[in-house]
Amino acid sequence: MSNFFNGLLKLRRGPWEMLATVLIALGVFMLMQPFVLWGFTYSFITTLVGTVMFIIVSHFRE
Amino acid sequence: MSEKTVDRVAGATPVLLARKIKGLSDRAIAWIFVGPTIFLLLAVNIFPLIWTVNLSFTNFKANRINRVVDYVGFSNYERILNDPDVWLSMQATAHFLFWTIFFQVLIGFTLAWLINKKFKGNDVWTTIIVLPMMLSPAVVGNFWTFLYQPQIGLFNYVIGFLSGKDASSFEMLGSVDLAPWSIVIVDTWMWTPFVMLICLAGLRSIPDYIYEAAEVDRASKLRQFFTITIPMVLPFLMLAVLFRGIENFKMFDLVVQLTGGGPGSTTELASIHLKREAFEKWRTGYSSAIAIILFVTVFGLASIYVKALNKVKER
Amino acid sequence: MSYSVTESSSMVKWVAGTLVILYAVITLVPLAWILMTGLKTPPDSISYPPKVLFEPSLEGYVNLFTTRTRVSKETLAALPPPTNFAHEIVRNRGMVIVGPSKFGQRFMNSVIIGFGSTFLSIFLGTLAAYAFSRFKIPMADDLLFFILSTRMMPPIAVAIPIFLMYRNLGLSDTHLGMILLYTAVNISLAVWLLKGFIDEIPREYEEAALIDGYTRFQAFYKVVLPQAATGIASTAIFCLIFSWNEYAFAVLLTSGTAQTAPPFIPTIIGVGGLDWPAVAAGATIFLIPVMVFTIMLRKHLLRGITFGAVRK
Repeated sequence: MSNFFNGLLKLRRGPWEMLATVLIALGVFMLMQPFVLWGFTYSFITTLVGTVMFIIVSHFRE
Repeated sequence: MSEKTVDRVAGATPVLLARKIKGLSDRAIAWIFVGPTIFLLLAVNIFPLIWTVNLSFTNFKANRINRVVDYVGFSNYERILNDPDVWLSMQATAHFLFWTIFFQVLIGFTLAWLINKKFKGNDVWTTIIVLPMMLSPAVVGNFWTFLYQPQIGLFNYVIGFLSGKDASSFEMLGSVDLAPWSIVIVDTWMWTPFVMLICLAGLRSIPDYIYEAAEVDRASKLRQFFTITIPMVLPFLMLAVLFRGIENFKMFDLVVQLTGGGPGSTTELASIHLKREAFEKWRTGYSSAIAIILFVTVFGLASIYVKALNKVKER
Repeated sequence: MSYSVTESSSMVKWVAGTLVILYAVITLVPLAWILMTGLKTPPDSISYPPKVLFEPSLEGYVNLFTTRTRVSKETLAALPPPTNFAHEIVRNRGMVIVGPSKFGQRFMNSVIIGFGSTFLSIFLGTLAAYAFSRFKIPMADDLLFFILSTRMMPPIAVAIPIFLMYRNLGLSDTHLGMILLYTAVNISLAVWLLKGFIDEIPREYEEAALIDGYTRFQAFYKVVLPQAATGIASTAIFCLIFSWNEYAFAVLLTSGTAQTAPPFIPTIIGVGGLDWPAVAAGATIFLIPVMVFTIMLRKHLLRGITFGAVRK
């Protein structure tokens, strides 16, 4: 776990990609879940942030 | 005659230029080779995409070209993301997505596992099983509506025969309860082979010596299955699930032919909802915003997919 | 025979084989039903219980290719005797053939657009794939991802601007418009698949050719292309199958001249609703080429569906 935060601080690709992946997955889940409307409302922005983040961080060093 | 012309042209070309053309640098060749592809994709994909983004901030209606177009800022997005109808179509998509993937993984993995027992003739049967997934979803989906007919359909007859019910007592496509399942059934029938093929590749990528080593350690067959087979196949399975997820998230042809989104809007998946908004109600600006939301979601999933793809490639 | 831990016992194999064959048979039933329905008469096709044994008839195929009109008994009796089986079948239903249907033309559209876009995507795709495989291209990974991501786009989302663009350019409902569109979708698959195939050809072949005084171009089409022939052929089949099956763009962007078969087949209407034997006949003619291609492709299927990532 501390490795993960270390990686984030040192701008390494692995942990950041993981974070972006989680954001995208969360956004997709929020978009399609049947439970709360506000989840649906904020799903798009979550996915968008995750996707943009993914594009940027995939250029970080390994 | 023609040879002479060639000679004349060759003679007329300055030596330096001729050498340049003949020995184009690798860099130049690379761009000449890649250029047309990139250009085509920019023209047919990226330019329209930018146009869609632009349209999504307007109240443009494609069936009324002469109307004044106003920029409305983010209000299209605001309306969509608070619209219970869009939300419902997303939930219909979720139902379809979840259950198709569930059944396809379950059946597909089991089939792959059985085929990997290497019984005689397994490759012939594999090819036969694969057939449905290569066919046209629209044409096949259309024919499934015939199989689903309450009285005369083969599907209803077989289910009626097996369950003892009257074959005309239930309507797969007409009833609100059954329609969401009818599309799951057809999609599962069509795409289980896809998951099966990829799982099979995963199973075949496991070298024998790992099992042999486990056998030496006296690990039970069940333990081997959970500590070797499953983890080794998992990257492949992820690939299959992600790809089916993306494909079914934008599902259109099969379901349009089967139910057309009905009855009511019970099977109105995201793409079908979008089609109705864009090409039936002609709310072009509004539907462009839906298109962008779908696109960003697919793009996000696609980047995860490519990451998974590279992971499998390294194996 | 030596004992092996990975080789299953014959009992296990027998059980596994039986289960797989059972699944294969069940999965084939809908396809077999299409074939059978195409050979039934309309009353047979909608009988209850569904008929497994029936007297085969070509009525579905005749109805698929012709348009017919109902005539009175007197007119029918006054006609000269039928010249071929098609006329005979139609007259037994109290109708006469008045002309060909649109199916032939729609089928030809599918062929033209399918082959046109396949040729174009293979041509462009091979060049691009060669460049990606052999040369250092700046941001190659990003470009490849960009190329692949275009294939993932939801067709309906792209269709809105394409619809407007084609309307302005006069490309709606034209063969050229559809060929360009399908090429753009197929090219991503072509580049990714062909890059995989070309990666597998050792560079030494070309380098030897270059030393022999070939130019890059010559080395490309005299050395690399023949080596990649199998790969190119199977990629072409994949592209062809995609264009052949495509429905969403076809239904939104074409209506008459350039309409392909998939949007057309479901609209074949007979007397009193859908004419199922004719629909099934159309589906049979439409699906059989794909089945043949699938069997030809079986060794490369896995590559095709994973964009070349899984090579077995």
